Amino acid sequence: MHKDIQIKRYLPEEHAEPFWQTFHVPYDDTTSILDALNYIKEELDPTVSFRWSCRMAICGSCGYMVNGIPKLGCKDFVRNYPSALHIEPLAHFTVERDLMVAMDEFLQHLEAVKPYLIAEQPEPTEPHKPHRQTPAQLAKYKQFANCINCGLCYAACPQFGLNPEFVGPGAIALAHRYNLDSRDHGKVERMPVLNTHNGVWSCTFVGFCSDVCPKGVDPAAAVNQGKVESAKSMLIQMFRGGA
Amino acid sequence: MAYKPNLQRTWWLQHRFFRAYMLREATVLPLVFLLCSLLAGAYSLASTEAFIAWQEFMAKPWVIVIHALALLASLYHALTFFQLFPRVMPIRLGDKSVPAAVMIAAQWAGTVTVIALFLWLFGGGL
Repeated sequence: MHKDIQIKRYLPEEHAEPFWQTFHVPYDDTTSILDALNYIKEELDPTVSFRWSCRMAICGSCGYMVNGIPKLGCKDFVRNYPSALHIEPLAHFTVERDLMVAMDEFLQHLEAVKPYLIAEQPEPTEPHKPHRQTPAQLAKYKQFANCINCGLCYAACPQFGLNPEFVGPGAIALAHRYNLDSRDHGKVERMPVLNTHNGVWSCTFVGFCSDVCPKGVDPAAAVNQGKVESAKSMLIQMFRGGA
Repeated sequence: MAYKPNLQRTWWLQHRFFRAYMLREATVLPLVFLLCSLLAGAYSLASTEAFIAWQEFMAKPWVIVIHALALLASLYHALTFFQLFPRVMPIRLGDKSVPAAVMIAAQWAGTVTVIALFLWLFGGGL
């Protein structure tokens, strides 16, 4: 079986504008979108550029728009597209070349929410002990810990498309994941970022981010649970006279 | 060198999911009309003539159609809201989380109870 696959090319040193190019690619039931792209690069046109690494939906590198929907190239198959198949770079990001986007905006937002365990301040003086966690404490955040930073949720989010300053679903889901972690003491540092208009309040619960998430993280739920936390945090600040 | 495609104004027409989202958001439009009608009714209580005029306005077929649309819109909005609620306010009892289906069913049960109560109060019994 063969398939005509259209790829949105961008070669800035040759063409000022992006253009569509069609490739005739053999496939069977096991051919992933990424396999098809690798076939194109190896057999048809070595200049086609795209990112990929693990081939098993854990590195988060091979995000593309497939027929207008954000997908991981390794987790989606050519057989799912019986008619046309168009592959574009992830929406709402700056495109550097062919299917490669600059992830800088996402990474800046991710950095801003401090997505790591923050120790109690001042640090306890007694010797460090292991942080024990019960299964119930783990269950609170486990779902949100599955994020692989692939950026599909940003490509699905029209609010991020309209306002790139929006911290966005992925970063907020990770902020929420650490806020829910019983070992963490960094909530007070993260909430000022989430409390702003560009934090959780830019979300209008379109919910498409959760639909496209390849790891079932449900970032829309995290963002909207974040609104409840943000409302609480702002009220507490008001009563303390800090607002 | 790089390019960034702009999000077009028609972005919400491009996908079924976005159209459903916009429909959910648009349910507010007939509800705004209903609220304005009720507000006008409250103001019309100032004089008998105004109240009779308001009652005539409320009986106009096109007004009834928009108000019927407002009822459907609010039910559709309730449907979407009830489905989203368990994701925003997950409830845990001890070590177990309450299943989403139970929370959705409880919200519909609450809605039916309120409707039944209003029918009983204002409709002369069921």
